[in-house]
Amino acid sequence: MSDSTTLKTRREFLRTTLLGGALTWTVPTFLANTFTALHAAAADRATQIVTGKDAPILVVLQLAGGNDGLNTVIPFANDHYHKARPSLGLKGDRVLKLNDTIGLHPALVGFKALYDAGQLGIVQGVGYPNPNRSHFRSTDIWMTASDADRFENRGWIGRYFDANCDGCDPTVGVAVGRQMPLAFAGKQPKGVALDNPANYRFKGGAPASAGEMDTTDESFKKLNFVMEDDGSANSGGSIGAIAGQMMEAGAPLEFIERTALDAQVSSDQIRALASKVRNTANYPSSQLGSSLGLVARLIGGGLATRVFYVSQGGYDTHTNQGGTHERLLKDLADSVKAFTDDLKSQGNHERVLVMTFSEFGRRVAQNGSQGTDHGAASAMFLIGGKARSGLLGEYPSLAPQDLHQGDLKFKVDFRTVYAGVLEQWLRTPSEPVLGRRFTPLNVV
Amino acid sequence: MLMPLSAARWNDQTAAHLLNRAGFGGPPAEIEQLVALGPEGAVNRLVDYEQIPDATKDPEWARPDPERLQRLAALRQKSEEERRLALREEQQLQRQRIMELRGWWLRRMVSGPRPLQEKLTLFWHGHFATSVEKVRDAYYMWRQNELFRRLASGSWPQLLAEVGKDPAMLIWLDQAQSRREKPNENFARELMELFALGEGHYTEKDVTEAARALTGWTLDRATQKFVERDRAHDPGSKTILGRTGNFTGDDVIEIVVAQPQAARFITGKLWHYFAGVRPDAALNDALAAELRAAGMNFKPLLRKLFLSEEFYAPNVIRTQVKSPVQWLVMAIRQLERPLPPPQVCHTLTRSLGQELFQPPNVKGWDGGLTWITTNNLLTRYNEAATLVYGDLGPVRDAMRANPNRAAAQEPRLQRRMEERLDRLRLAGVDPEKLFTVDERFKKEELIAALERRFLQAPLRETQRQALRQFLDARGATDNDDILGAIRLILCTPDYQLT
Repeated sequence: MSDSTTLKTRREFLRTTLLGGALTWTVPTFLANTFTALHAAAADRATQIVTGKDAPILVVLQLAGGNDGLNTVIPFANDHYHKARPSLGLKGDRVLKLNDTIGLHPALVGFKALYDAGQLGIVQGVGYPNPNRSHFRSTDIWMTASDADRFENRGWIGRYFDANCDGCDPTVGVAVGRQMPLAFAGKQPKGVALDNPANYRFKGGAPASAGEMDTTDESFKKLNFVMEDDGSANSGGSIGAIAGQMMEAGAPLEFIERTALDAQVSSDQIRALASKVRNTANYPSSQLGSSLGLVARLIGGGLATRVFYVSQGGYDTHTNQGGTHERLLKDLADSVKAFTDDLKSQGNHERVLVMTFSEFGRRVAQNGSQGTDHGAASAMFLIGGKARSGLLGEYPSLAPQDLHQGDLKFKVDFRTVYAGVLEQWLRTPSEPVLGRRFTPLNVV
Repeated sequence: MLMPLSAARWNDQTAAHLLNRAGFGGPPAEIEQLVALGPEGAVNRLVDYEQIPDATKDPEWARPDPERLQRLAALRQKSEEERRLALREEQQLQRQRIMELRGWWLRRMVSGPRPLQEKLTLFWHGHFATSVEKVRDAYYMWRQNELFRRLASGSWPQLLAEVGKDPAMLIWLDQAQSRREKPNENFARELMELFALGEGHYTEKDVTEAARALTGWTLDRATQKFVERDRAHDPGSKTILGRTGNFTGDDVIEIVVAQPQAARFITGKLWHYFAGVRPDAALNDALAAELRAAGMNFKPLLRKLFLSEEFYAPNVIRTQVKSPVQWLVMAIRQLERPLPPPQVCHTLTRSLGQELFQPPNVKGWDGGLTWITTNNLLTRYNEAATLVYGDLGPVRDAMRANPNRAAAQEPRLQRRMEERLDRLRLAGVDPEKLFTVDERFKKEELIAALERRFLQAPLRETQRQALRQFLDARGATDNDDILGAIRLILCTPDYQLT
């Protein structure tokens, strides 16, 4: 069965179900199973079917703004470090030592505990050739896994979905937040974005007229889920032509219609799960804390999601970095620690891998405003019951002659980390997703 | 390239398209006026906006406050407790003012006499995206907004130079802190990458050299004005974009804007903003040539743009996703309803992903299809009830779902905001103001009037039938049924486009 046939069938099936009289417009969970049955052809693929209760889950955690890797995973015994950062550098007696030369920022107590428990891996010196120092461009490069000089419209997770889950529920990818990250962009849009489950539904009808809800909802569905071959109904030459053009694949109207359909399908499922399951750990009252708390509830409830996406912003520390960076890292470590505790008590700890990334690290030398400017290589964290623990990769040299325009040279291409995550964790060939062969870094 | 629009194509739909894109749309009566003016008359009316008097008053706090610095300095003598209290008051004052400023600007968009000027001001705000989050001063944000308005269709080199010296920008991209010993590259980089040239049209070396030349441009916090400090300036020789000399900040702007790419870059972005699609290479070249021919002034280019066949192409009309601000302002105008208070408007657009004076980063809002996610679409649908019925439930939901940073830190603030909301009463739409008697009582006429007012295009047949069934199920149509039908139209994929 070709991809397009599968997708067309799925959409028609959803429309019919949603418009059918017998069912309410919410979609029961059996739908996911029905799809697996409908598209048994997909099971023939070499890769495993993506949905399934016990399948591994990836949580991508973006540290937006360019996290200062040097003050996160700190080479405290290195003279070059202290010379370049006379006031921002952290001395050996303050860091949480991992060995004789490397230590974690003192705010990362939660990460140290996970490290000691063998559940946290630190990939040192991660970057890519010809690093770009623009937030946006570099973020795009990480999101699309492209070379620095190539522009891609599709994200690496979107390509993973394209290759592995035709006919999946839209909830195969969940981005916590109001915007869909570029990483999720695929040939066929998949995944949902939400920031609060309680509001994640259509509340029809006039206020205080509950009796009239039904006709409003019925009409709402008919107005939103228009059958595809309906374009001909438009009368008048120019309008018809416009409508025809808008109905082309990828056109805005069709995109919004598809989004409306996905919203409908995922809404009931997500709300039910989020309210059924409770968090058992104490999360910081931050945006990241509540994002990860929601992810834990959705995992606990058994949502068939393979990739969750959460982010924490504020790392663009050009001025007065000290206090800001400390607050951010504390929030990060405390939130992730609570998340792993929560998953442990659910018994899902070994199914989940958290991977952090940031668009770049920061310049080795501090600037004149008690801050740091955009740099290059930085560190990634891998966290989970099965994550490969310890210091991975190699710390780049800080010696002035080894720097490139004042920045660290990378030792590990981030796409080898992605390759490891794809092959060893999500169990799918990485080459179709990343566009070429990268030797996977061992992540589990 | 840039074929003039043939007069035969001027009709309800093309006139509506002009008003939708060059402004924020409007009720059928306004569209009819533009139809009557003919294409050139209509475009001139929008473009030559200086000829229309604008009596809008500035916010009463929108003037320099030379004592502010002294007040803040005097705090150093005070106890820590007093300092904390004073700082909190200051923050609260700034928060109130920025909210007032949002309302002030939205009102200009909704009912100001110069829609294109406001549409352009919104473009420049997204282009030179500066956030109050870092600037922390409503007065500076207002000044920047006024700068965008004053030079909205003016000269590109002048606008770039004035933006470089604008207090909010000096703070936002750290130029105020850049000194010869340690040049800060932030403004120099974004000037080339995001403001004037685009990626791939400069080197890293150009950025560091331009940053050196820009040292000395800073903000005098006492006078609240731009100042060029010789002591902080690096007077040495620099090489920028192939030219070498002892350049200053003004030279940087001149060198950058003289690049052939400068005209291409900004006209490409303007076309995208107004047409909703990216221009192909030939069209972009034609637009850039128009800008250069006009001595880098935008007004003649805009006139040609709005009178071009390309701007009215089928893939342009009704294919642009409304930004949350467009969605709000256009709906208010089409519904002919009063503008809700600033806090309500802000909560609505914020929950849809757009906060005026607070773009997510210096790149501005990504826009286009990225406005539409499953979450944002459901939120748009739900918030339509606020605009149609005056129902504040969705506003309350949004406020609780995304408490702003200040409210998250201060639960008292959140409670106060909710209490204010509890006391608020918002009017609903008055159908009798929107529709004639015939339209209100004859279902087919009502449907046609709804299409004309809200979509400026016919519904598809199944949608039309659904709407008809909705009205039929309720017997004789009353005002509540009309509101229900409006609500339904606002909750369609079609309505999210303009």
